[in-house]
Amino acid sequence: MFQVALKDLMARKRRLVTTGLAVVLGIAFLTGTRVLSTVLEDSIDSLISDVYEGMDAVVRSPEVQDLGFGQEVRAPVAANAVDRVAEVDGVRVARGVVEAPSVQLIGSDGKVVGSNFGPPTLVYNWLDDERLQPGVLTEGREPRTEDEVALDFATAESGGYEVGDTVTVSAPEGSETFELVGLMGLGEDGSRSSGARVLVFVTPVAQRLAQMPDQFNFIAAAAEDGVGDDELAERLGEALPQLQTVTGTAFTEESSEAIAQFVNVLSTFVSVFGYIALFVAAFIIYNTFSILVAQRTRETALLRAIGAGRRQVLVATILEAALVGLIASLLGLALGVVLATGLKAAVGRLFTVEPGVPSLPAAAIVTALVVGVGVTVLSAVVPAWRSSKVPPVAAMSEVSIDRSRVSRARLVWGTIFLVVGIALFTLGVTDTGPNPLAEFGAGAALVLIAVAVVLGPLIASPVSRFLARPFGRRGRVTSRLAGENAARNPKRTAATAAALTIGVTLVTLIAVVANSVKTSVDAAVNERFDADFVVAADVTSFSVGVPKGAEEQIRELPNVELTSAVRFSFFRLLDEFGKQKAAERPAEEPTNLPAGAPDEAPEGQDDFALGIDPATFFEVIDSGELTGSPEDMGPDTIATRAAVAEERGWEIGDRIPVYFAATGEQELELVLTFEEDAGQGSYLVPAETLQRNGLPFFDFDVAVYIQADDRATDAELAELRSQLEDIVAGSPSVQVQDLEEYAEAQTGPLDTILAVIYGLLGLAVVIALIGIANTLTLSVLERTRELGLLRAVGMSRRQLRRTIMGESTIIAVFGTLMGLVIGIVFSIALSVVIAAEDPGLFRYALPYGQLVVITVVAAIAGVLAAVLPARRAAKLDVLDAIASV
Amino acid sequence: MTTTTSAATPTETAAAGAIDAVKLYGEGDTEIRALDGVTVSFERSRFTAIMGPSGSGKSTLMHCLAGLDQLSSGRVFIGDTYLDTLSESQLTELRRDSVGFVFQAFNLIPTLTAEENITLPMDLAGRRPDSDWVDLVIDTVGLRPRLSHRPSELSGGQQQRVAVARALASRPQIVFADEPTGNLDSRSGADLLQFMRHAVTDLGQTIVMVTHDPVAAAHADRVVFLADGQIRDEMIDPTAPRVLDLMKQLGD
Repeated sequence: MFQVALKDLMARKRRLVTTGLAVVLGIAFLTGTRVLSTVLEDSIDSLISDVYEGMDAVVRSPEVQDLGFGQEVRAPVAANAVDRVAEVDGVRVARGVVEAPSVQLIGSDGKVVGSNFGPPTLVYNWLDDERLQPGVLTEGREPRTEDEVALDFATAESGGYEVGDTVTVSAPEGSETFELVGLMGLGEDGSRSSGARVLVFVTPVAQRLAQMPDQFNFIAAAAEDGVGDDELAERLGEALPQLQTVTGTAFTEESSEAIAQFVNVLSTFVSVFGYIALFVAAFIIYNTFSILVAQRTRETALLRAIGAGRRQVLVATILEAALVGLIASLLGLALGVVLATGLKAAVGRLFTVEPGVPSLPAAAIVTALVVGVGVTVLSAVVPAWRSSKVPPVAAMSEVSIDRSRVSRARLVWGTIFLVVGIALFTLGVTDTGPNPLAEFGAGAALVLIAVAVVLGPLIASPVSRFLARPFGRRGRVTSRLAGENAARNPKRTAATAAALTIGVTLVTLIAVVANSVKTSVDAAVNERFDADFVVAADVTSFSVGVPKGAEEQIRELPNVELTSAVRFSFFRLLDEFGKQKAAERPAEEPTNLPAGAPDEAPEGQDDFALGIDPATFFEVIDSGELTGSPEDMGPDTIATRAAVAEERGWEIGDRIPVYFAATGEQELELVLTFEEDAGQGSYLVPAETLQRNGLPFFDFDVAVYIQADDRATDAELAELRSQLEDIVAGSPSVQVQDLEEYAEAQTGPLDTILAVIYGLLGLAVVIALIGIANTLTLSVLERTRELGLLRAVGMSRRQLRRTIMGESTIIAVFGTLMGLVIGIVFSIALSVVIAAEDPGLFRYALPYGQLVVITVVAAIAGVLAAVLPARRAAKLDVLDAIASV
Repeated sequence: MTTTTSAATPTETAAAGAIDAVKLYGEGDTEIRALDGVTVSFERSRFTAIMGPSGSGKSTLMHCLAGLDQLSSGRVFIGDTYLDTLSESQLTELRRDSVGFVFQAFNLIPTLTAEENITLPMDLAGRRPDSDWVDLVIDTVGLRPRLSHRPSELSGGQQQRVAVARALASRPQIVFADEPTGNLDSRSGADLLQFMRHAVTDLGQTIVMVTHDPVAAAHADRVVFLADGQIRDEMIDPTAPRVLDLMKQLGD
């Protein structure tokens, strides 16, 4: 039977190529992301060890604040600790290190160098010790005075600067200029670049720019000869028990781990789309094998008649699937490496990557083979089973085309899938199960399968005929035939269309949610904000804010009635509710055991607080009904949304225990609750309190709201706007916006993310289109006799092509419509959950324009998918076609 | 036995014909002359049968006459048009507008109703069917009650009648039928032949039928005998026994 399977495979090479292609693409995608993330991790590891190479031990604050996404910030250490470190026995030299993302470099063209995505812009101080200094000078000299700077060579290049030039930096207090005196690089010869924009200043300047005068991010120590790293760390830990000491190696590992974790999250996110593509591929494989098995009925029956057992027929088909899966997976692996090599070249322009062709991790090979073969075999099981049930007597009968309707077994299974799917989906969206994302995904997958196998076949025929109708009149017969052809085998049409449904469902879901978020933000800003202008930092530049003193300057401007500034910082809620939430999270194992004080952060729930000016904030932002008075918001107070207070069991007057990394545990008195927030988060704290307790990295205003005098004329408002623009001219990432522009800017980054997601989903859609082409090719083959007849009685090639394209378009539009409906249903489910959490804010809004575009694009894609099968059909020789049976 | 040599050029009376038609398959040693210099013409409003043993070239002749296949040399014409002067799309139009077809089996598009199958060539041409004529044809073949049925709901005989109706519906210059009764039982076959006879006699249509059944051939006005790619003989107003006799003779 193995030979039979092999021969069948060879005889149907072309059809199986298209089937396998779906798997090849899916596996290539998975392998590509995996290989690329390995390359990235290796490169980042090696770059980070270049940076911290000379540091044998690092002494730092034990106070740490979690920012989510695996990111954390640590409180700075006082400058006087450096001397205490230096005095410890075995320390050759100790230096305080400033390493902070607090400025932006302005290129010689006046634009900010680098984007806010990817590697950061970092301020360092010159350490004046060859071993401790990250990187080496490659040109010029180190900065010696307060108006000098050194840049890493790649940054200088992209900023268009050379040694001797005047460099502009956008700093917390507005723009400043420095003379470029030297270029630096990583590695022994300084030829390597980390991709981060590195600015090196003399220590006082670096401290001022990082907003931590007389403080350092950490203290680096180099050991005397003969003192080991561990020994050094141990001695430091003993000598400085209030601080934390880790070995240089551990420190390096920790830094690479943080980035690796980020890379990992990113590559997992991207792999999800690979799995979606494979899910789509499964439909195509199922469909192809179903058609092949049906077309092969006579052959199978003949085999059975001459003595092949049921089992043998079953095994032969499964073997065939396994071979297709194996070949496709191997090709996918190869393509994945090619893909990763290409991407690597692209990333290589951002920072120095490890040279050579990326190697394929053994685990990636195993995953690819298991997933690829597994998906193919599983998808072919049902068709294979059906094939094994062909009775020997079928050899004598006419080739029958499967026209059967939905069977009872299908209905039963479909209903079970639907119910379980909806249950899992609900569990996922309501965040009540152990792994919401997996439940959400599995639930959605089951619902899609149920729709594809039960609902799809039930409605495929009437919908196909309905869709063919509007094309009537012109080319009546061709569209009628197209509709009938799509309708004649509802199971096949439904399964083919379902592959497209998956992609469209996700696109629709995301488009609807994104549009709802935009609408919600628009509504919040338009209905709740009462400001004429907003001076705000770009939402993606977390480390740069409105220049210091800008608010005071603005207040002095003519026609300004009122200003209100907001800032934010992270804190940890230590109330019972927060502790309980923290206990639910899986505990993380500390990787590097430090000497001295362990990490000091009490159990609790991390969140962010908005720092406000209580006197003006509620003038600008309508927060609904207030319980308590803003006037009571003195130092060390907090306000929250009424619903949050209720959920956490807080009452006005309660003292809420919180933790700030900079100042440790504090108590804030709840003095005010408000009804609705305008997308600003749930916790409001006076700006002064936040500034006192927050880490220096967040010591800036993120926005200043400005109300102009009601009597100001349009000309005066325009004048005001240009005056505001002058004030922030030194900070290119700070914009002056009216409310409309402000609302738009808030959701701007969403468009970028959406574009990426749509691009990634494109893979699933392409695979679905391959599926449509595949089905059509098989159908054309099956209908050769019929096509010959049509041609004989006078159908032109053009008309024949049009008929097949029509059929393809109908399948594509059918799949799209199902996707739109399911996507909208999912989005409603999701928005119910979102709205339940934050009732005042969320507005469900269908993006009608986009949904129409999706449908039109699908129809066009359907036409494209039919190009090859249609050409093939049109090329059929009329006589041969008629002669074939 | 009377042998009338019809003028094998487009004339007022010839609906179609072939002049020195040669059709070769294969090359060298394996070369087969399916048609070996056939000159023949088919008169309008007549029912002609082409007979011959398997491999005599009768089907090839019909395919070439109908524009489904091309000659190696020689010419064929339908009406006053030589087919070798036509492009592929003109040939398609010719098949659609001037020629009707009835095959042995699988004549109908399974997804279309009987009525849609009948008007298919006109629909493909984007022409409005001549409804009086179509009604007349439908009534002649007795299909009125079955018009909305799909082919799978019709018997073999009914399917072939739909096929004949489809072939006649566009009022073509000529109808070619390739063993139209080959798959039918004798009763249904006889019915079908009567309808074809009727279409020629009463409706003035021109039919050329390929068959190897003397009984079927006896329904025609004239029988042309083919063997080894050449015309061997012909017979006017045939009867089954005479056809059988001639075939035996030719077989020797």
